[in-house]
Amino acid sequence: MAGMTVGMQSRGQLVAIAQVRWHIFVHSLRTTKGALELFSRIVIGVIITGGGVGGAVLLGVGAWYLVSHGKADGLLLLLWPVFMFWQFFPVMATALTETMDSSELLRFPLNYRAYVLVRLVYGALDPATVLGSLWLIGITMGIGWARPTLLAWAALVLGVFGVVNMLLTQMVFAWIERWLAQRRTREIFAVLFFLLIISFQLIGPLLSRYGDQSNATFHQAGRVAGPVQAVLPPGIAASAIASAVNGRQTAALLLLLGLSLYGVGFLRVLSVRLHAQYRGENLSEVDRSERLARAERVRAGWELLGLPGPVAAVVEKEFRYLSRSGPVLLTFVTPIVMLFVFGLGGRSGPGSGFLQHWPELALPVGAGYALLLLTNLIYNNFGPDGGGIQFYLTSPASFRSVMLGKNIAHLGVLAAEVVVLWLGASLLYRIPSAGAVLLTLAGLLFAAPMNLAAGNLLSLYSPKKTEFGTFGRQRASQVTVLASFVIQGVVFGIAGLAIFAARSYGSLLMAVAMFVGLGAVATAVYFFVLGQVDRLALRRREVLTTELCK
Amino acid sequence: MHAADPPNGSSLPVVPNSAAIATENLTRRFGDLVAVQDVNLRVAPGQFFGFLGPNGAGKSTTIKMLTGLLAPTSGRIEILGLDFAQNTVEVKRQIGVVPEGLALFGRLTGAEYLTFVGRMYGLDRETTASRTSELLEFMQLADQPRKLVTDYSRGMQKKLAMAAAVIHGPKILFLDEPFEGVDAIAAGTLKAMLQRMIARGATIFLTSHVLEIVERLCSHVAIIDRGQLVAQGSLEELRAGVEAQAPGMTSGGKLTLEEIFLRTVGGTRSAEQELSWLG
Repeated sequence: MAGMTVGMQSRGQLVAIAQVRWHIFVHSLRTTKGALELFSRIVIGVIITGGGVGGAVLLGVGAWYLVSHGKADGLLLLLWPVFMFWQFFPVMATALTETMDSSELLRFPLNYRAYVLVRLVYGALDPATVLGSLWLIGITMGIGWARPTLLAWAALVLGVFGVVNMLLTQMVFAWIERWLAQRRTREIFAVLFFLLIISFQLIGPLLSRYGDQSNATFHQAGRVAGPVQAVLPPGIAASAIASAVNGRQTAALLLLLGLSLYGVGFLRVLSVRLHAQYRGENLSEVDRSERLARAERVRAGWELLGLPGPVAAVVEKEFRYLSRSGPVLLTFVTPIVMLFVFGLGGRSGPGSGFLQHWPELALPVGAGYALLLLTNLIYNNFGPDGGGIQFYLTSPASFRSVMLGKNIAHLGVLAAEVVVLWLGASLLYRIPSAGAVLLTLAGLLFAAPMNLAAGNLLSLYSPKKTEFGTFGRQRASQVTVLASFVIQGVVFGIAGLAIFAARSYGSLLMAVAMFVGLGAVATAVYFFVLGQVDRLALRRREVLTTELCK
Repeated sequence: MHAADPPNGSSLPVVPNSAAIATENLTRRFGDLVAVQDVNLRVAPGQFFGFLGPNGAGKSTTIKMLTGLLAPTSGRIEILGLDFAQNTVEVKRQIGVVPEGLALFGRLTGAEYLTFVGRMYGLDRETTASRTSELLEFMQLADQPRKLVTDYSRGMQKKLAMAAAVIHGPKILFLDEPFEGVDAIAAGTLKAMLQRMIARGATIFLTSHVLEIVERLCSHVAIIDRGQLVAQGSLEELRAGVEAQAPGMTSGGKLTLEEIFLRTVGGTRSAEQELSWLG
């Protein structure tokens, strides 16, 4: 535009985007659902802020202690957990993570710099970044409290460290999204993950062999790991501050430069993806060979023993959807990763993983975590269907059949997860005892129908369109997220009480019996809710179509 | 007129001489806004019925109520002589719908989607598979069997949605803007299929902004404006009505549907207004 510099134009565009988001937010408050969304967002925001501030205080005290007692090198013990959380939380808690659909911006004359800026700004608003930033502020304050002259330097180093973290998260997200978007790359990813699982087979015996030995073995491992971690961002950031504490200004500057280079490198790799997206990349599922494929004979749908045709059709459709969703598949493998993470550190010493102490808990903990992740699907059954909800509303099949089909598919996934977890627990720790298996199954007998019943209701009352194909776009509505906190609190609270009572009486079977009794009640509740879904769906059809056909 | 063969041999108690679609004082309010008010439609079996109206007149709201996507505030809907509110499932078995949003499942292939739809309508596996195959061939969608629906072009998606709407052999087909965004080749395929259905005695109810297509395909038309039905009948009846209201306004030849429409809803096409910045 004449008379307008590119910079002014970009600023104008960014302001326009912010204004649009504001208008959308204000208009959303016109409906009850919008107001509930805001309320839930505030509650969740308070919880996240509480965790952030609490963590910041703890980390701040820790930083103060380390710097004021001449142990500034120990700052890496604070920065590594922050780094790990920042990178893993978005994958582990996809219900709280959302990426924007930047493809909608492409029709506007937005230059590449403005496009990148918008992506980065949106990326900075996810919970991991908010929490991580708060914790870094806490550490900065702690350092400044211990040594006020270091405050500015610590703020600079940790600010750069925060930016590096944010860029790394976005880079990993963007590339995983790319790899999981197409069948071929997804298969390669699956093979790599399979190899990782196989490698657990080696880790298990290694831990068994060295876990019982003296700490010398782990000190040896620490001596190897030390230099490696020192050249990674948390190690460099910690060293940059420690060098300044010890008066080595040149070294501190060089380390800050090194940290910045990481940021530039991550931005460079991220920009390869962003540039492809900016050019209008479309990650089609069809590869070249498939485009040339000739017409195939149409296969008859699945026949599932004892299930009516419509229910079997929904089960088949759900499995096809899940198998084509890279992000969802990645979510399903995280419980096995968690088993591994909780067992890190060997069997002895203060840093040992808790599952090394209580290997019997590996299966129940893994199954509980798997169910927790599955609630992301269960609580928003129709989200991935989007406009397909109109088909359910106009077809003669009952919503009861549709819900049942979806629930059976999700239970199938849970069952497969439990089998994989059993294998994982056996490889990593030891074969779970019959008692642990029985306890896990009885616990699921209670928790699964309870979650399915709640999920069926939430799916009708608080639907939100989600995108299965794109990483970070599977987030349910905030109302659902808040409700899931409450429901999980109740379910896991009751389960915890049952196990506590059983332990008090020294009888595991007592917990199993309690779970079976609770399971019978939960199953009755599930079938009662299932019996109501047709009536509820009819009453909620306008909300369903409005929310899911957006 | 005779009705099309019932799907799967199902037999409904169709009332003789009853309308295929009939509404009685059909009304829908959104808060203070009355989107549709006291609409009394009557579509005879076997009719190709065009439902027209300006933007925001209430076409989509009406078709949504007729297909079960929206609850009426008041009034009654009768499909094939059955009260829709009382016989929801039975009615849904007899109708096919292509709604505004197409109701597709993006992460299935075309064949998987049609198979899914067929089974949801209660067809057995073999029948579903053979009809899916036939429909994909007819709609020229069979040559990319592994392509996901989400990767289809808009025209391909329309054709797939149409195939899904007819897989169970419905007696009535509801189509909301079926030709919007469709190229001439795809439109030709769709029209051929619709005419074949009419020849077999099915009833088709469609909304469209493309008046030339409606004029060529439809035998009967209704026009809705600001939520109220302002005209209903065969094209000849509408033409006669408009000419009777304003005798001498015609230029000698037959009025086109576009002229009938513009005169009925009182619209004008003005090129007098200009946008200063467009030059």
